[in-house]
Amino acid sequence: MLVQDLMQAPVHTATADQSLGAVYAFMQNQQVRHLPVLRDDRLVGVITDRDLRLATSQLRSDPFDPTDAVADVMSQPPHTAGPLDPIEEAARLMRQHAIGCLPVVDGEILVGIVTGTDLLDALMRLTGISKPGGRLEVRLPDETGQLARLTATVARQGGNIRSVLSYSESANALRVLFQVDTIKTRALARALHAEGIDVLWPPIGPPTA
Amino acid sequence: MPSFTFHPDYYRYYFGPEHPFSPVRQEMLLSLLEALEVPLPLDEPAPASREALCTVHAPAFVDAVAQAAPDDPTTHDTAKGLGTADVPVFEDMHDAARLLVGGTLHAAQAVASGQTPKALQLGGGLHHGHAALASGFCVYNDLSVAIHHLRAEGLRVAYLDVDVHHGDGVQALHYDDPDVLTLSLHETGRYLFPGTGRVHELGRDAGKGYSLNVPLEPFTEDDSYLDVFERVVPYALDHFQPDVLLVQCGADAHFSDPLADLLLTTQGFERLFRRILALTDEYTDGRAVLTLGGGYAPDATVRIWALLILLLQNHPLPDALPADWLATWSEQLDATLTPTLHDAPQAFDIPRRDTIAAQNTQVSKRLLELVAPAWYQAW
Repeated sequence: MLVQDLMQAPVHTATADQSLGAVYAFMQNQQVRHLPVLRDDRLVGVITDRDLRLATSQLRSDPFDPTDAVADVMSQPPHTAGPLDPIEEAARLMRQHAIGCLPVVDGEILVGIVTGTDLLDALMRLTGISKPGGRLEVRLPDETGQLARLTATVARQGGNIRSVLSYSESANALRVLFQVDTIKTRALARALHAEGIDVLWPPIGPPTA
Repeated sequence: MPSFTFHPDYYRYYFGPEHPFSPVRQEMLLSLLEALEVPLPLDEPAPASREALCTVHAPAFVDAVAQAAPDDPTTHDTAKGLGTADVPVFEDMHDAARLLVGGTLHAAQAVASGQTPKALQLGGGLHHGHAALASGFCVYNDLSVAIHHLRAEGLRVAYLDVDVHHGDGVQALHYDDPDVLTLSLHETGRYLFPGTGRVHELGRDAGKGYSLNVPLEPFTEDDSYLDVFERVVPYALDHFQPDVLLVQCGADAHFSDPLADLLLTTQGFERLFRRILALTDEYTDGRAVLTLGGGYAPDATVRIWALLILLLQNHPLPDALPADWLATWSEQLDATLTPTLHDAPQAFDIPRRDTIAAQNTQVSKRLLELVAPAWYQAW
């Protein structure tokens, strides 16, 4: 999944010479929290609702005025992503800099924006289900051919894998959660177990009585 | 007197000897009731018409089912779920499937017309059937077709699904209808098929607040199940005020079921069925349409459904099962059968019992909190 697959486009923007008051009203109307800031059609910064609230807070000794310019308050230079960056790269940048969005630029041109909300949507797409199916969870040794062994066994049992999620559990173990188009996941679990695969769910045997 | 619907051709809804959704379950059930000398007059239904099927299903889907031939893989529309691991194509699939729909429709007509307060369809309950997708052993959704009939008769329908799997097809087909309450208690879809049935699936548009789901933890036992049932079901019926209850009585929440992980006993099912029947007296003047459903351990499934029939008829519950019947079927199945109607007393060794019960309680509370705004004010 790439940034271009989940970015929001077209994107709302502000200009560097706009007033804080005008940008505040715009954010309220559009229900957005982040705006890339342009000067002469070039990306020069980012302004967020949090920037506005902090800059104009009466708790400050020198609060900004609604008539002050965006350029005085915005974050610059902006951190950006490219449309072909993998989404985990975008997530890493946002975590590293503790920021909530990345304008997406293709060369010099602003083409979209990615926010934390879009990354949550991506998580839901990756882990969610779109068609009926049952799930199994296994632990595989982190070695060449292990995933192939898993999927080959599922295929031999006539199961159609709808989605696969995996993550390293430890230095030498991979946890794999996959969705198959069948109710009969126990039979599948037994077949995997017979292949020597460590099945974490569903239980292999009959329920304990 | 409740009416019972059955047709010998139900046995033609048959996916093959290796498939768990087997008509042997009905064969065993009917022969058990005969051996117990329980009178069981059976109405023979007619197959559902294409028009009735299309109140629920896409015409193109009905065509695909009608054209599917077991020996010709080019007729297996796998995008519509046909010819898959769970729904292999069999001979005369369309006719066998629409006969089951006809049976549930027949039961619904008998109740809607006032002919009988309660009707049990001895088959059907194919709750995973979608508008254009066969899934989870289900081709046509008989429950949903019956709901359409009951609605056309002006009745408000509360659908209660106690099958261990989420009733996803019925929910989806009535997701935006405020006059159909769907209520499903099932093992959580975190792992179990079909994967849906979370508390936040509450309905759409005008139907918001009229789809309710109680996803239960694996290894849930009788007491926790019935506690959660009591927290949610009477409350929902009281709010909704149905005219008729439609109940999918799947038996696969039993502890011996090979496809799922709940731990209900036959004693738990007896309590559950008694409670459901009492609720029909309380909320629908006794009106209820009931169907069978899942249940893949024949030994347990047959005893659970026999219990249901005996309770419906107010028949005394026998203790031991007839020896001849046991001998015949244990030989036929090559399995040891439980010699009594009820399970022997069970003591499960579940170290996480308290956590499981606490989680189930919390889920049912959360469901009621989530649905309250839909019931009591605009969103």
